[in-house]
Amino acid sequence: MTGPAGREARLEARGLVRRFRGGAGIHGIDLDVAAGEVHAIVGLNGAGKTTLMRLLLGMLRPDRGDARIDGVRVDAAGADTWRRVGHLVDHPLAYAELDARANLRAAARLHGLGRREAAAAADAAIEEFDLGRYAEVRTSRLSLGNLQRVGLAAALLHDPKVIVLDEPTSALDPAGVILLRESLLRRAASGAGVLVSSHHLDEVARIADRITVINDGRAIGALDPTGIDLERAFFAAVHADDRARSSA
Amino acid sequence: MSGAFHGFGVAVAVEARKAVASRVMVSITVLLLAGVAAIAFGMLLAAASGQEQVIAKLGPLAELDGWARLVGVVVQVTAAGGLGAFGVALSWMFGREFADGTVSALFALPVSRPTIALAKLAVYGAWAVGVAVLLTAVVAVLGLAMGLGASDGAGLAELARVPVLAVLTALIAVPAAWAATVGRGLLPGIGATVVLMVVAQVLAVAEVGTWIPIVAPALWAIAPSSTPAAALLIVPTVPLAFGGLCAWTWARLQLDR
Repeated sequence: MTGPAGREARLEARGLVRRFRGGAGIHGIDLDVAAGEVHAIVGLNGAGKTTLMRLLLGMLRPDRGDARIDGVRVDAAGADTWRRVGHLVDHPLAYAELDARANLRAAARLHGLGRREAAAAADAAIEEFDLGRYAEVRTSRLSLGNLQRVGLAAALLHDPKVIVLDEPTSALDPAGVILLRESLLRRAASGAGVLVSSHHLDEVARIADRITVINDGRAIGALDPTGIDLERAFFAAVHADDRARSSA
Repeated sequence: MSGAFHGFGVAVAVEARKAVASRVMVSITVLLLAGVAAIAFGMLLAAASGQEQVIAKLGPLAELDGWARLVGVVVQVTAAGGLGAFGVALSWMFGREFADGTVSALFALPVSRPTIALAKLAVYGAWAVGVAVLLTAVVAVLGLAMGLGASDGAGLAELARVPVLAVLTALIAVPAAWAATVGRGLLPGIGATVVLMVVAQVLAVAEVGTWIPIVAPALWAIAPSSTPAAALLIVPTVPLAFGGLCAWTWARLQLDR
């Protein structure tokens, strides 16, 4: 299957529904991430961004609908599919008792790299995310921002072609945001499909090729990433959707 | 390894790395070894000085002497306290992924979650065998320090019961891993461990439950002559059943709580 501009779809959601008690969840979302594309989803807290990402990664099973990675249904995906995926949703793949380097080597092995490749990939990730000072420090002693850097490095060090990051800049300092932005642009340029979420229109959302607005478990529209007043457009879309639903 | 358990070796290496780096596993090991040795030494010392309550507690063991008495006390203490230590270790190994939130990072990997769960059990098994060997060494040193003769062949043969009982006790603690998974935290695993300890000890003291696998090791510790070997041979059904349940539950896991 292909995405926008005829490019291969890295991620596809078709009519995805997952409802939780109390009415939260997502209520029928269609979404694509094409190879070479950065696709941002933005929405307020509780809009359903994390639920959507969890469904795309097999962390939740849908009530209805279909999620695919590189054309393979998520519930049928095997090792060959998952080794092409890198994600940071909720907690990083980082254990408190291990130092950053040991965590990154473990992450590389679990992502399918051999022992030597894993050591080299961990070293490269330490350099890419400027973690040299913390490489031999237990992650239990790292600041939240540096822990997030370790988590991002762990998610990306095996050069995944499908990247899913939930609010990846939430604890990063401005230097970290720039590192991540450059890293994602570089990976997208080499064919990766990137899905990132944000509850505010941060630096990473602004590099997206597409921005989809999620509200109350639905995709309610798109924002033009090159627009000059994204916040205003975002809130206008959300408020219009809230009004339409309350009057329905 | 390929197929459903692709990456088992990798998962074992990662789990072993975590266990070795963790202060939790080292602490449990030290507490178990020191605790069993101290309690056994204390009870034997008290019995030797004629304390009637302790002699009554020892029961038929009070009539034994030398290595048989030391080993008898050690295996009884291990059957109860060791079960607690093994259950806490499993509760931590499995429950910490939920308590720390790292479980979400174990999704969407080429190494599957059931493979990771079985790798945890493999590492646990290797650790438990190590604990059994160390405990035997500690008991041997304790016995020699207490003046028991190294030339007492029959008595030394008794010493072989220590690692057997320790490993059997480790095997029956595996339900704690499943409880920590289903309950998604350390406390459900520890709760299951307490239930296992109570059931095993109460039934063993009442001398019933020979053919109940979670009771047989404690019963063998108290009354070795009345516990048939076949009753001990069915003990591995506990880790097989609950290990399978662990793998199945990890395969079906959703982040929905």
